[in-house]
Amino acid sequence: MTRYAMVMDQRRCIGCQSCTVACRTWNELPMDIIYNPVVTEGVLGEWPNVHRTFTPLICMHCDNPPCTICCPCKASQQDEDGIVWVESEKCMGCKVCVNSCPYGARDVNGHEGFVRKCTFCMDRVREGDQPYCVATCHQKARIFGDLDDPASDVSKLVNSLKTNRIFEELGTDPQVYYIPDLGGVH
Amino acid sequence: MSESADIHAPGVEVKKSCCYFCHQNCGVLAYVKDGEVLKIEGDPTHPTNQGGLCCRGNIALLHLDHPARINHPIKRVGEKGEGTWEKIPWDTAIAEVAERLNQIKAESGAEAVATAGGTLRTDDWSRRRFMNLFGSPNGFHNALLCWIPTFNVETIVSGWSPFETDLGTSRCVILWGFNPGASAMPGMRGYNDLQKQGLKLIVVDPRYSETAAHANLWLPLRPGSDTALALAMLWVIIYEGLTNNEFVDNWCLGFEELQDHIIDYTPEWASELTWLDPELIREAARMYAQNTPSNIQWGCTADQLGKTSGAGMHARAIMRAITGNLDCPGGDLMPGPSSYYVTDEELEANDWLPEEQKAKQIGSNKFKLTSWPGYQKIADTARATWGKAPTSEWFCEAHGPSVFKAILTGDPYPVRALIISATNPVNSYGDAKMTLEALKQVEFLVTCEYWMTSAALYSDYVFPIAGALERPIIHNNYGVTDSLIASQRAIQPLYERKTDYEFWRLLGLATGQDPEQWPWETLEEAFYYVTWSFNEQGYQFGSYDEFVEKYRFFYPPMHYYKYGANGFCTPSRRVELKSSILEELGYPALPTWIGPAENEEDDPEVAKEYPLVLTTGGGFMPYHHSEEFNIESVRFLSSDPFFTINPEKAKELRIKDGDWCWIETRRGRIRQRANVEPSVDPRVIYAQRGWWFPERQEDTGEEPFGCLESNVNVLTSVDDEHCDPIGGSWANRGLLCKVYKVGYWDETDTSFSIPGSSPEPGVTVPPSEQKLAYEFIPYEPKPTFEVPEGLTWDPESKFAWDLELGLYYDPDSGWLIHPETQVYYDLYSKYAYDATTETLVDEATGQHYHMETREPIIATPTDMVGGEEL
Repeated sequence: MTRYAMVMDQRRCIGCQSCTVACRTWNELPMDIIYNPVVTEGVLGEWPNVHRTFTPLICMHCDNPPCTICCPCKASQQDEDGIVWVESEKCMGCKVCVNSCPYGARDVNGHEGFVRKCTFCMDRVREGDQPYCVATCHQKARIFGDLDDPASDVSKLVNSLKTNRIFEELGTDPQVYYIPDLGGVH
Repeated sequence: MSESADIHAPGVEVKKSCCYFCHQNCGVLAYVKDGEVLKIEGDPTHPTNQGGLCCRGNIALLHLDHPARINHPIKRVGEKGEGTWEKIPWDTAIAEVAERLNQIKAESGAEAVATAGGTLRTDDWSRRRFMNLFGSPNGFHNALLCWIPTFNVETIVSGWSPFETDLGTSRCVILWGFNPGASAMPGMRGYNDLQKQGLKLIVVDPRYSETAAHANLWLPLRPGSDTALALAMLWVIIYEGLTNNEFVDNWCLGFEELQDHIIDYTPEWASELTWLDPELIREAARMYAQNTPSNIQWGCTADQLGKTSGAGMHARAIMRAITGNLDCPGGDLMPGPSSYYVTDEELEANDWLPEEQKAKQIGSNKFKLTSWPGYQKIADTARATWGKAPTSEWFCEAHGPSVFKAILTGDPYPVRALIISATNPVNSYGDAKMTLEALKQVEFLVTCEYWMTSAALYSDYVFPIAGALERPIIHNNYGVTDSLIASQRAIQPLYERKTDYEFWRLLGLATGQDPEQWPWETLEEAFYYVTWSFNEQGYQFGSYDEFVEKYRFFYPPMHYYKYGANGFCTPSRRVELKSSILEELGYPALPTWIGPAENEEDDPEVAKEYPLVLTTGGGFMPYHHSEEFNIESVRFLSSDPFFTINPEKAKELRIKDGDWCWIETRRGRIRQRANVEPSVDPRVIYAQRGWWFPERQEDTGEEPFGCLESNVNVLTSVDDEHCDPIGGSWANRGLLCKVYKVGYWDETDTSFSIPGSSPEPGVTVPPSEQKLAYEFIPYEPKPTFEVPEGLTWDPESKFAWDLELGLYYDPDSGWLIHPETQVYYDLYSKYAYDATTETLVDEATGQHYHMETREPIIATPTDMVGGEEL
């Protein structure tokens, strides 16, 4: 089986937001839709002993996605490889899924009337390419691959390093793993 | 599902293009069908970016057909700055511009025409070619703020700027005033990877930058005090014995004098100036000098310190040399000009510019190293070593701010026409108020642009220029490295856009330049000429495009220790720690401390009024210089200008996060919003550069597009006394400022003054009466040999002369020589040497004398030679 997952290496992310813009241009998104913002609490601490962490956000392509169960039109769905996506023709823009997602990873824009979200660039992935945000990241802070393949980079990282997941306690079983930046040189 | 166009459809071609939105020129694959670019993505096989593209690179398609792009030549029909235009055909526009330029040349000389360039958005060897053939020495860029002074200082010390860091086997690198985390994204990845393998990263930056966050050792110094830090690190390296003695003994000149010269520049001395703990300075110096091979990565800060810049560059050049890091594996490499392909300098036609025109270059009497006087010395030494010289575009230019001052004052002479290509000087040059006024007042202004900018608005003609994806691009570090990366255009330029090369070529032909001087109709033809010699290196291609498609890169075989054979490319063939060229030009030959443009010690009165230290000029994501402010997909990431202030200071000044505030220096004030965070020292303000508001299309009054409102260059100074006398750069770092909240009744003050710090508006001191930061040290070359009695030493010609007879002394042979006839004369008797008889002869009487004894030779029949009586 294939199970796509992503690892965010926060030790390497420098908050340049290239992924944010790249995703939008590659996927030709409208201005009011962002699939992958990069957030930060800013510089913390007292000068000069300070620290800052960037957190790239994206759809978590959960193993237990609340957004597919709640969809009244069966537009929001999950494929066998774990990719969660919305079939725009079926979607009526009711926003039930938007409200159900604890990660704020999907939205409907004013002009189109259907929900949009990150698809892990399924068109690219199924051609054997990386999702565009992964390919475009200069810092190689995003690692994508098949978690079920023990030889894949994501599988090696997730199984060898301490990683975090966001809102793990909600039981969504998110498939985006974060390698925290604990400071120091690594 | 993504709705993106199908790049796998039949008929889609992949073009090897590149990004054109900063200097990295990351590789881009463009998917093209029927002359339309469907998609672009980073080229995974490109050595620079390996598939990565930042937000600027990714918007290339939005840039390509942006509704605000200028697509046709336009001519002003209303008043200057009114914004009324009419479309005209290219050939008419070019003919009209050419006629006007020729008229100005006939009336005021070619030097009355100046040109300003941008930052690698152009092929400016063609601009230089045009200017040389036209006869004007007054081309310039913002080069003085970006590497060029550093290159020239390092070249006169060690023979070439050691700018290529051989990081693979390096053990330590200093990133000095360089933040690849915002301005060289692929580099940042490289540093991170190497750091994992043990590379030590020393970061010198007053901000907690993206790069400082990854440092092994971070030196958050007072902005502008870099030179003090460099001198103190030099002190530690020398006085703690961390030098590479073998290299110093064999290859360096002036070490002992240097040692005495810097004796007072202790870490304790620097501590007060830099705000750094002396132990931290020692630690940095030790880390750098003990972990060899190690590198110093150049950063723009080096060239943006104003009057203290030159000494800092010199000190760093010495650091590289005395630690033995020059041209060694893992060290700082000195490629020299390429011997494999045609360099930019060879395309510039510099021989065509007459000497008397070179002498008229504005600013060359003040800032000599980066203009003809210094460049000529560098070029002569380089030609003697490599057979080729560094590029003269960038490396030998007029002093931009002095040209703007000449426009306004007619001092040293009137500059009547200005052609601007790929830059908006209002945003990029110091003292924006003065610069804007110069653009308003210049008699004839032509702009080559993508957009309508505040500079373009005051133009008489604006030409539409081809940008990313529409032009082939060669990347070779301004023509001073030996490698080359080539990219092709994805499509022909849209609408009526042309490359700047075509603009200069057409203008050259229209002004009457010989068509044989412009043999290449397109850039591809010119680039084929540049690269064709690779065919002799085993490559096989019949056109530039074929080279790109088949090879794309040219990396010559790596040679270390190139100096081993012929020495270094300096006048003495050694590393000149004490620089003979600086000495000859009238500058201190050893690095000497001088405070930054404005500082608490030298200007206590100013510091009382303006207690905070301003730093600016540093790149920040997502913008590059003043670009991309009009692209919505980038602008939304950063829609307002922000300055950074420490929470402690903000609390004291009652400034809250997000408040609009004034930042004020002696030159004026601008407003930006407060970003309150502890990423700077409480005494420091960091302000973003480049800001203008292209969305204010209707705002065409005194300050079009709000071009002064948040523009940090309103705060900077280009007064001669604040510029580096060596290289001419002015200060973006380490200015004194104050910050306070914006009130409802506030209005901006837009009047300009020369000098910028004058309390009165208008011209109060003409440029020629302005003093430099320090006076020239009169240079008198001392004789390198003993001058015989009766002869006079002439420092100008560097010979000892017999003034009575007009003969000069040749110390090697011990004879006097006539400069024209080349006849030798005896030093003591002054008799000429007669080679046929091997005797001396008194030219006045014809009497011969014996060579050794100088006794007269009495003619006898046996002395008859060839029937002629002696």
